[in-house]
Amino acid sequence: MAGRFFPAALMARRNLTRTKMRSLLASLGIVIGVVAIASLGMFGVALQYSFTQNLGNVGNQLTVYPNSGENITELTERDIRTIRRETSPTATVSPVKTRVEPVSYNREDAIRETIYGVEDPAALYEAKEGRVSPFRSGALVGSDVAEEHELHPGSQITVNGTSVRVRAVLEEGDPFSSTNPDNRIIMPATSFSQRGYSEVYVIESTGTQANETAMGIRGALNDREQRVVVQELGSLVDTIEEQFQIINTVLAGIASISLLVAGISILNVMLMSTVERREEIGVLRAVGYQKRDVLKVMLMEATLLGFLGGIAGVILSLGAGLAINHYAVGNAMAVFRLPNAWYVGAAFTFGVLTSIVSGLYPAWKAASEEPVDALRG
Amino acid sequence: MTVIDAQGLVKRYRTGGQTLYALAGIDFALESGEFVSIMGPSGSGKTTLLNILGLLDTPTEGTVLLEGQDVTGLGDSKRTRLRKQTIGFVFQHFYLLPTLTAVENVEVPLLLDSDPKVKKRARALLERLGLGDRLDHKPDELSGGQKQRVAIARSLINSPKVVLADEPTGNLDSETGRQILDEFRRIADEDDVAIVAVTHDDLVNEYVDRTVHLVDGTIGRERKNGG
Ligand SMILES: Nc1ncnc2c1ncn2[C@@H]1O[C@H](COP(=O)(O)OP(=O)(O)O)[C@@H](O)[C@H]1O
Ligand SMILES: [Mg+2]
Repeated sequence: MAGRFFPAALMARRNLTRTKMRSLLASLGIVIGVVAIASLGMFGVALQYSFTQNLGNVGNQLTVYPNSGENITELTERDIRTIRRETSPTATVSPVKTRVEPVSYNREDAIRETIYGVEDPAALYEAKEGRVSPFRSGALVGSDVAEEHELHPGSQITVNGTSVRVRAVLEEGDPFSSTNPDNRIIMPATSFSQRGYSEVYVIESTGTQANETAMGIRGALNDREQRVVVQELGSLVDTIEEQFQIINTVLAGIASISLLVAGISILNVMLMSTVERREEIGVLRAVGYQKRDVLKVMLMEATLLGFLGGIAGVILSLGAGLAINHYAVGNAMAVFRLPNAWYVGAAFTFGVLTSIVSGLYPAWKAASEEPVDALRG
Repeated sequence: MTVIDAQGLVKRYRTGGQTLYALAGIDFALESGEFVSIMGPSGSGKTTLLNILGLLDTPTEGTVLLEGQDVTGLGDSKRTRLRKQTIGFVFQHFYLLPTLTAVENVEVPLLLDSDPKVKKRARALLERLGLGDRLDHKPDELSGGQKQRVAIARSLINSPKVVLADEPTGNLDSETGRQILDEFRRIADEDDVAIVAVTHDDLVNEYVDRTVHLVDGTIGRERKNGG
């Protein structure tokens, strides 16, 4: 029998079953607190995870724009040569021209769309249907454009009154990348009359290299006047991840409030219980229980309440985590990842600790009552 | 052998500027195997005396010797340990733990010691008190007399030198009260335990060695029974 090895636990357990409903309600608070902390934590983790999953590998990309703040509207061939000098030998540098033209699909009314002029699209994109290179005429369309207007290789679109043949439909790109082609129409750079470029994509092999290149480009082009803006996706990713960290902490903080409430309800239950059992506790002291023995029995009750609520909370949290990950990440099993274990573990620990801390005052009160006064009634 | 020797016990309470003497100078000695009753009107200091003899309370003045050792100035922790080793208590309202069975209630004083022999001893005590068939019953499944027997078994679990009983028959009908007093008599004789019982009941005189009468915190006439 467990009571033989842990007699305080036997008494505590029996005492809790004496007022079953009250004990259940008290630990229900802990259950809710644990579930709130664990599932908000896991929700944050799932958000962050699905974000990084969507981001893919954009940390090594740079985009150079003309600085419109200094009234610079386009980048010149000389700028491009400077940029190429600053990049590492293995980097891909893709200057891009843009113009806005009326475009009509399937003989419908024309809409004004941005046309992108890329010299070597094969360096940036792969075809989902059709072929990207050679690319001397016609157009490449992104997957969203193709889907919306039911375009396939061989379809015709009308750009500024001229009929243009679709060469390929491009693979989806990273949603956060500035090279993302999903909503774009791309035509050969040679078909553009203007000489300047509206942006330049640089893809380095690593994020660190991208960062160095960005500094090099800024140093070379923004020396006398601020000619360009260099956008680094890597640092953007870092910023966003930091934001997620803050959101997670705030969420967990909000959830902790529910544990505070749970703690107060346990405090209340234990105080009621010490008042009701005043004489019993007096008898324990009379028959030779030291103050610390009474403290032990009472704290054991609080601990049991905490464990009970904590374990139920962990089980429910796992269920909530399965659902969260199913909907947010698309993979319910993603709940068994380390950061989740951390949140669930922390929630459980906080639940039990809250319970014990809430039991401290009532236990101390019970232990320090003079047995003479308790027994006099 | 003298188990308890109390000299010049005074217990004063100060309440709202007034001083109340619950005990006003009492000498009381107790031999082992002796069964003594304390009688007196309500408020005469019976419970106060019993609590001081049982190391639950400390006197304002006077000394208490327990088996020759001066225990007057001991702190709470030491008094608690001595209670556990040498004293048993029986109360008017039994004060059994309602969540524990009869055997478990008898074990309570030694429960935290995790000594496997305690359970056997608890059973033996209950059997001796005629409760062999009620070992695993909860208090609310027992009659008043049975509850008080469980409480007596609990007071004996630590093989005490003294058992102090505050109105042990106060909540029982006279027939059951007699049986309880009978048990005390037997325990005093067989186990050589000193027993002090506070009671209102004149019946008690048939069972005890002597009766101490308390009036307003002082000892009145004392009557010895037999020899
Ligand atoms: N804690 C206390 N504070 C003040 N007065 C007390 C206290 N305890 C007992 N008394 C008083 O001491 C006197 C003796 O009480 P008690 O020993 O309980 O009497 P008895 O048990 O004979 O009825 C009573 O007048 C009681 O009111
Ligand atoms: Mg009394």
